[in-house]
Amino acid sequence: MKHIFKIISLLAAISAFWVGLLQASIIPRTHTWLLPIYLVVSLGCYGLLMVGVGLMQFPTCPQEAVLLQQDIAEAKGFLKDKGVDVGSD
Amino acid sequence: MELADRAVGLLLSLISISIFTYFTFWVIIVPFVDSDHFVHQYFLPLEYAIIIPVFAGVALLSLLSLFVGSVMLKSRKKNKKA
Repeated sequence: MKHIFKIISLLAAISAFWVGLLQASIIPRTHTWLLPIYLVVSLGCYGLLMVGVGLMQFPTCPQEAVLLQQDIAEAKGFLKDKGVDVGSD
Repeated sequence: MELADRAVGLLLSLISISIFTYFTFWVIIVPFVDSDHFVHQYFLPLEYAIIIPVFAGVALLSLLSLFVGSVMLKSRKKNKKA
């Protein structure tokens, strides 16, 4: 619940700031009308950028992959001896 | 395998950066340029800067709801069979 209140208060603050900008006419009006769409598009771009950067930096650990396969084979053999059906081979 | 991941990650980052810079130029910088500068022929009229993101957002929402709906229908069908 608290998290929703935080998000709603943040949205309310941003919209109050935007309405204040509309009233005060510091920036030309066309720019102020375009500001929310620009913020949404830049937020989406930022999310995409974070996904791309995370993909680039993700470590693959090839030795751990080999060890994991060995563990899986060992566990399968052990369970099959005990009579549990693990088959998807 | 990690080379393919890094290539896809690099492609995603480049796409997002290019979209961000093009949109920033379109919305913030181009309106301040004189109307007979050559830059205006590289950018669509400013109404499209609203239409294209809104259209993309609506398309994304409808595709998401289609996907969620189809998954719910499939799971209900599987429950009825079992």
